[in-house]
Amino acid sequence: MNNRCSILDGFITGNAVLSGFMVISPIIVCGNTIMNSLALIYAFSAITFLSVTIGSFIPKKLSFGFKTIIHAVIASLVYIPVKMAAEEFFPGVIERIGIYFMLVAVNSIIVVQSQTKFHNMTKGKMTVSLICHILGFDVVMLVISAVRELLAYGTFCGRIVDADMFISGLGMPFGGFILLGLACGLYRSIVPSVKNDDIAGGGSNVSDF
Amino acid sequence: MQNKIKSQRFIWIDIMLTLLALVTMEYFYYGARTLALSGICVSVSFVAEIISLRLMKRKFTADDLTCISDSLILCLMLPAVMDYTIASIACVFAVVVAKNIFGGRKNMIFSPTAAAYVFLLTSWKSQVLMFSEPHVHTGIFENAEHLVSSASHGFNTSGRMNYTDFEILMGNVSGPAGAVSILLLAVAAVILILRRDISFGAFAGTVIGTAFLAFFVPVCNNQWDSLKYTFSTNMVLFAAIYIISDRRIAPKRNYYAFFYGFFIATFSYILVITTGKENVIVILSVLFAPVSLGFRNLENQIDTLVKEEKDAEDLWEAIKSGEFEIPEAEEVLTDE
Amino acid sequence: MFLISEFVVLLGANLILTQALGLSTLFIAAGSRKNLLWTALTISVFTTLGSFGACLINGLLPDKLYDIRLLLYILVIGAIYVILLTVLYFSDRKKFGTTRKYVHVSAFNCAVMGTLFTVSEKSADNMGAYVLAGAEAGIGFILAAFILTAAYRRLCSKEVPASFRGFPAMLVYLGIISMAVYALL
Repeated sequence: MNNRCSILDGFITGNAVLSGFMVISPIIVCGNTIMNSLALIYAFSAITFLSVTIGSFIPKKLSFGFKTIIHAVIASLVYIPVKMAAEEFFPGVIERIGIYFMLVAVNSIIVVQSQTKFHNMTKGKMTVSLICHILGFDVVMLVISAVRELLAYGTFCGRIVDADMFISGLGMPFGGFILLGLACGLYRSIVPSVKNDDIAGGGSNVSDF
Repeated sequence: MQNKIKSQRFIWIDIMLTLLALVTMEYFYYGARTLALSGICVSVSFVAEIISLRLMKRKFTADDLTCISDSLILCLMLPAVMDYTIASIACVFAVVVAKNIFGGRKNMIFSPTAAAYVFLLTSWKSQVLMFSEPHVHTGIFENAEHLVSSASHGFNTSGRMNYTDFEILMGNVSGPAGAVSILLLAVAAVILILRRDISFGAFAGTVIGTAFLAFFVPVCNNQWDSLKYTFSTNMVLFAAIYIISDRRIAPKRNYYAFFYGFFIATFSYILVITTGKENVIVILSVLFAPVSLGFRNLENQIDTLVKEEKDAEDLWEAIKSGEFEIPEAEEVLTDE
Repeated sequence: MFLISEFVVLLGANLILTQALGLSTLFIAAGSRKNLLWTALTISVFTTLGSFGACLINGLLPDKLYDIRLLLYILVIGAIYVILLTVLYFSDRKKFGTTRKYVHVSAFNCAVMGTLFTVSEKSADNMGAYVLAGAEAGIGFILAAFILTAAYRRLCSKEVPASFRGFPAMLVYLGIISMAVYALL
């Protein structure tokens, strides 16, 4: 039961965004409409899953620095076919998202967490835990972008909703900052197993490296 | 401690009295709509404060009534014909996001009013910067007609104000009613400074900084006109009294508060003459919050060092006078 | 006056306040002033040297091969990463254990990669413009680090509600500062 909980905690208690404060920038800047978020979710999920899985075959004896570079190179190679497919499924969105589509390829989960967390597990547990972490990001991204699109633009998935009041500031990056901060606070108050005294959040610290 | 609590409440009472005078002036120019707007802002702020304090598991005390003064200050910065819903959202933002998330009145980082005003500027710019003419009374449930830009906008774009000195003094110009009643604001400033309700250092820094630049880098051909118009536009005087000199935000020592106000005034004046933006001083008061925090951290460090020195001196005096005996080394070892 | 206008432009182009890049690194390093300062300086080194590499790559890479730009930028950052670690190791072996962590944290983070892409998108013409843009990004990160340091104790104090203490309050704090920057632009 404990093993199952620790594998699944990437989705709720160890959520990469709300608990670990990783991969925040795409949510804040680009997560203002559902269409943008779907494109980013696809990019993040595909690149992260494939990169971490392929990276699990790198010999562990290599130094931290070299493994980091290799993981980043793998992610950048995986990025190329993912982007080509994205241009087919999400035409026009790639231009709106801009550099954040590429930056998803160097997110903390691929570059750091893969070495410190995922590759220390067995392949099966790693796959489940990774999927949970990815789903955790996806859900947060979708919910935040839905709220922002509704409140800022009065649309839902591009369709106009009967709303009288728009708070256009929520569609801007500062709106993303504030809304994400509120969401994190709400998450901490709802999920009891997240330690509120853990100021570093996510367990990461400069001294961990 | 009791004296401290008492003085905070008296500060709030004094500020409320000056604000009520400004609200009365606003009512004179814009009618019952202003009272309705003020009432809604105050009610929403009050309810938001109670709910957020309950969620924080804290009791609502008389000191928490500062939410009312904050909401009135915000209301005085807005057009009299502002949409009620937008004003309510701003009040909730001021109380919850800009204040209580950071710990409430015991841990203030931003001026709640300034943060809420900047939030309105970024989200509803056109509604915030368009005003009805003075003496045009809009009904409580009516929509505003024939809105105009503020006198500040005219000054920023043309460098002139087409109003007499009397009209400027009495606030008979288009703009946020609370921020253009220059005579009332001047009286309020004198009262609040004499009663030590606002930071004199921050106020002096803001005024001197603005005056210095307005005189030596004038906007108009006439230096005195430049001085006069600079103080009566862009909420300079209003922000100097109620936002920059807020004792909860400004550095405690007048020396640091002076420079805090001076920097804000300098940056604000230069941005007004280079970019023509309205009410920049309010935006900069939010942006300079880290500067104020830096000064306050410095003050805390100085206070700590002074206290440690004083404690060391007291201890030395006690040892010299024989009141305090240094335990023998053997006794210490035995205890261990 | 020119300086103040430049300051406003610097704020407007700030990676953290307007593009939310490097937030995770900033929060990780926010635990102590020493960590924050050294991390910010290391990121500045990476952005400046990385912009130099980005200029070379953009000059040589044809438009058809645009998609491999990310790979090439990563290789450039990887090279700087290895060189910096080597220099630190041979310059002071005793302190290498302490100093290398700043390099590990700073190398492949969004602030550095984002700078390279942002600089490229600005279509700068010469090496000087690239390096200057990279240095400006680094200075912007240092500025954001100071802004956060000023309020760090208050954001982590016991007065802040437990749910918001630390990172959530930091996000809201940076959001309000970012809002003020947007209002100025």
